[in-house]
Amino acid sequence: MSILKFSSVLVILLVFASQFFVSATRATVSESEAALALTNAEKSVVSAFQVVSEAEQGGANVSGLLAQLNGAEGFFAEAQMAFRLENFAKAVHSANLCYDISESVKNQADELWLKTVGPRIMGIDFTVYGSLIGMVAVGLGSFWCWHFFKRRYYQKVLRMKPEVGSSES
Amino acid sequence: MNLDEYRTVFAAGSLVLILIAAAPTLSLLVSFPSGSERFSELWVLGSNHVTDDYPFDIVVNTTYRVFVGVGNHMGSSSYYLVYVKFRNQTQSPPNATTSEPSPLPPLYEFRTFVADNGTWEVPLTFRVLEASRTDNFMFVGRLSINDVVFSVNSSARWDSKHNGFYYQLFFELWLYNTASQSFQFHNRFVGIWLNITA
Repeated sequence: MSILKFSSVLVILLVFASQFFVSATRATVSESEAALALTNAEKSVVSAFQVVSEAEQGGANVSGLLAQLNGAEGFFAEAQMAFRLENFAKAVHSANLCYDISESVKNQADELWLKTVGPRIMGIDFTVYGSLIGMVAVGLGSFWCWHFFKRRYYQKVLRMKPEVGSSES
Repeated sequence: MNLDEYRTVFAAGSLVLILIAAAPTLSLLVSFPSGSERFSELWVLGSNHVTDDYPFDIVVNTTYRVFVGVGNHMGSSSYYLVYVKFRNQTQSPPNATTSEPSPLPPLYEFRTFVADNGTWEVPLTFRVLEASRTDNFMFVGRLSINDVVFSVNSSARWDSKHNGFYYQLFFELWLYNTASQSFQFHNRFVGIWLNITA
């Protein structure tokens, strides 16, 4: 009976003690993890903004993506704050949320770029080729017209009859 | 008209027609400036969103609120960073002439994406947590911004001209440069003067 009691007390003590060991281990690991997660999140936000900027330059409406990026920034700020307060688990969690949103924004911006810029590039191609064909057509047309006109001009000149002028003195 | 004169007329006419045909492509290559000036706004407002209710006489352990805002007129979406800094009268503020930020370390920061012609505004609360006076000096030890505590350890001498111990809480605007892939000081800053009494 006493062995059973002793064992029970020991188990309870070990369960309580294990929490301290686990949390201490987690905190040590999480500090470096948190720093890495913050760096990755920041890089992801920046690269997402660059993709969004390219989509915007291509003429896409990016207001929805910017709102999502601001949401990601909110999580980044939370992560920074948690890191500062040495709550590394929360820092990693918030930084990962920021990272996930940024990556999603990046993918959406890529799709938007293709949807917006693709047809515009086709339009530009059409304009350039149309212009080139137009210029060549005008050049060749002018050349042909000039030769046609020149031939008519010579025929007209050759058909002319010389007039003999009289000079009365 | 003789043949040479006809040739000149033909050549000129053809050239005009070729230019007309090339106009759509030329319009893609030649871009004209929009003519509108590109700039960003940075503002700070009092707790009632007006400029005449800025906190000034600061009492220790009292919370004050202001609003910080940014307006984007850069012609495209921008990524802004607002640094919150704290200085006494002798410490360097940003230099507008040389476009250099204050060398003081930032206490707090906001990052935000603002669409072209869009604005962003956020409340900021601050509280002086620790200040002590010794003769003609005021020492501010700790300050909280949005409930985050910072050690500032800054002393101010009594300003006999304006009767107070003056500190400035100021905001610097930084803009993300996609070419250099870094934030750069955007030469915009605003601040509020605080007369801190222990």
